[in-house]
Amino acid sequence: MSMMAALAAGGGISLRRSWGSRGKGGGVAKAGGWALLLAACTLGSVTLGSIRGVFVAMTLASVAVLAVVAGGMVVREPRRSARNKSLAPEPLERKPSWWRSTLRWLLAGPIGMVAAMAVGIFWSVWAGGAEQTRLVIGGLLVPVTWGAAMAWTLADNRILRATAVLVGVAVLGFGLSILKGFG
Amino acid sequence: MSVEARRKPLMSRIPPGFVQAVLKGHSALGLAFAAAIYIVCLSGTLAVFVHEFAAWENPKVQRTSQVTPADLQRALERSIEQASGEVHHVRLAIPTADQPFLTLYVDAEEGRTAFVADADGDVAPLKRAWSEFVTRLHIFLHLPSAWGIFIVGMTGVALLSSLISGLCAHPRIFRDAFHLRVGGSERLQEADLHNRIGVWGLPFHLVVSLTGAFLGLTTIIVGVLGMAMFSGDTGRIYALFTPPEPPENSAAAPILDLQPMFERLPDGDMLERITVEHPTEAGAAAIFDLRNEQALAGVRSVGITRSGDIYYKKNIADGSLGERVFGALGPLHFGWFGGGIVKIAYGLLGLGMTYLAVGGVNIWLVRRRDKGRPAPGWERVWAAVVWGQPVGLAAAALCAVLFPGGHYTALIAIWGGVCLAMLAAAAFFSPNSLTLGGKAAAAGLAVAIGLVHAVSLGGARVSGLVWLVDALLIAVGGGVLYYLARQGRRQRRPDPVRE
Repeated sequence: MSMMAALAAGGGISLRRSWGSRGKGGGVAKAGGWALLLAACTLGSVTLGSIRGVFVAMTLASVAVLAVVAGGMVVREPRRSARNKSLAPEPLERKPSWWRSTLRWLLAGPIGMVAAMAVGIFWSVWAGGAEQTRLVIGGLLVPVTWGAAMAWTLADNRILRATAVLVGVAVLGFGLSILKGFG
Repeated sequence: MSVEARRKPLMSRIPPGFVQAVLKGHSALGLAFAAAIYIVCLSGTLAVFVHEFAAWENPKVQRTSQVTPADLQRALERSIEQASGEVHHVRLAIPTADQPFLTLYVDAEEGRTAFVADADGDVAPLKRAWSEFVTRLHIFLHLPSAWGIFIVGMTGVALLSSLISGLCAHPRIFRDAFHLRVGGSERLQEADLHNRIGVWGLPFHLVVSLTGAFLGLTTIIVGVLGMAMFSGDTGRIYALFTPPEPPENSAAAPILDLQPMFERLPDGDMLERITVEHPTEAGAAAIFDLRNEQALAGVRSVGITRSGDIYYKKNIADGSLGERVFGALGPLHFGWFGGGIVKIAYGLLGLGMTYLAVGGVNIWLVRRRDKGRPAPGWERVWAAVVWGQPVGLAAAALCAVLFPGGHYTALIAIWGGVCLAMLAAAAFFSPNSLTLGGKAAAAGLAVAIGLVHAVSLGGARVSGLVWLVDALLIAVGGGVLYYLARQGRRQRRPDPVRE
């Protein structure tokens, strides 16, 4: 595991060098950095089991690269000014509207959940393969779809479009699933 | 698309309007779920080490690296003798490196009792108030179980959604990949910490939030699937993933003898757990779970009846993709797949994830301040929520150390009381005072836990792990207290929000 962590840290340092060069010949360092991270995963896969090793390597790589980031920390003088100007993008300012806010949270919450359930169940019913695989993949699709629906509906300004899509997905998903049944 | 546009980095091509809209959603979702995400992540970080905590709560139990079939049989018999009422199941957890003693969980008419066995097979009640408190906080938030697990599952979905929107709202993801500027503008510092931890810990965040959301929502997913597809019979879905019941025969019989069954087990894999079904009935059986260390979901199960017949055999590593993925969810979620190093990495990344929730709200508060629209009330409430947790958790742990053998519900009362007291304090104190007070109280309690626990050992020979936990608590708590004392000597920083 120490070898994996060393490779990952080496990858992080190499990527950091490429990042620091700001496009001036950092291509080799960038390729080398990703290659070292890939090598850490491959080493994990070979020594600790094909899938288990990859997850071990990814976990160690995250910590190693974060350590590299922390190593390059820049400490600045505290700024006491009351207001700081930032170049970071600001969130959109929307006109307050109670019905749009209510609908938006309904879409992100219960309606999104029902639509996500419909997608998961549709997959479980219609996809091929072993029953357990269909159920587990369908089950995993539920949080992924719900999470994506949340992100989308809370961001999209065209809220009626989002409503139509989610309701449509829910009706179609459940309808087609019940039509076929789990066999 | 013009040549110039094509030359721009992919993320820079995202239209600013889209970024602003996604950022609005990211911000709203983060604020709505901030407290839940914070508590789930903090308790999850502790839950990674729940086996170590169990060993720490039972320091004087003799370490056992190997148990013989005779030891297991003796422990099984003693635990059944000590349980009250008819025994339905007994689960024996074989000693491991992180929990180096044999534990037995007996499900009887009167409820579940946990025991720990020594090298001679004698059993005593397992002290686990703190371990159980932490586990239940993470899984149920100490709410009624059906609601609690759903809310935790929904929190996992919100976290997953925040990861998606966070990536979409971050067009400078590669350009800022290694920037970490602290001490200058507070907003820039918080944004750098939030974004660097979020991006470089992304594989971990995705894995943990997806598996957590799935595990939390399993009951409702299975319920809906069962209702829609099997006329409400959810048992048909669970049956696809769980061993079948052994042939039923409820006639009374002597306690099941496990010893001859060991001859029927395959060689090579390590015994991890034994589940004994109806041990005092003629239809008794035992399921032996063996682990292949190289596989993520490497459990091989063998079910053997009282007469020695194998009625169930399953090797998940050779099973369908769904079975393997399902078997990997738990280890991946809790970091129980790569030994101590991976657990430590999960602990560090878990703390980082906890900070994502804290930093996200901090960014919102600083942004409001910078725009001349400060939210002093929310600053106080958030400081109380953030620092109420470590203080509440430390107070609960101290209670577990002072009254070993107590029930976890007492710890819930302590933790809940401290959290409410901190929230009430938000009405009277500034954010800086709440933060300083919270840090000092949590650190002081950590030192007290370490000292009280170390003194309670009374010079007994205990494992290095127990000393390590005590030493860490004293060192970290003492370090924070020293740092705060040094800071206190300097001129006190004015509150960011003047009221």
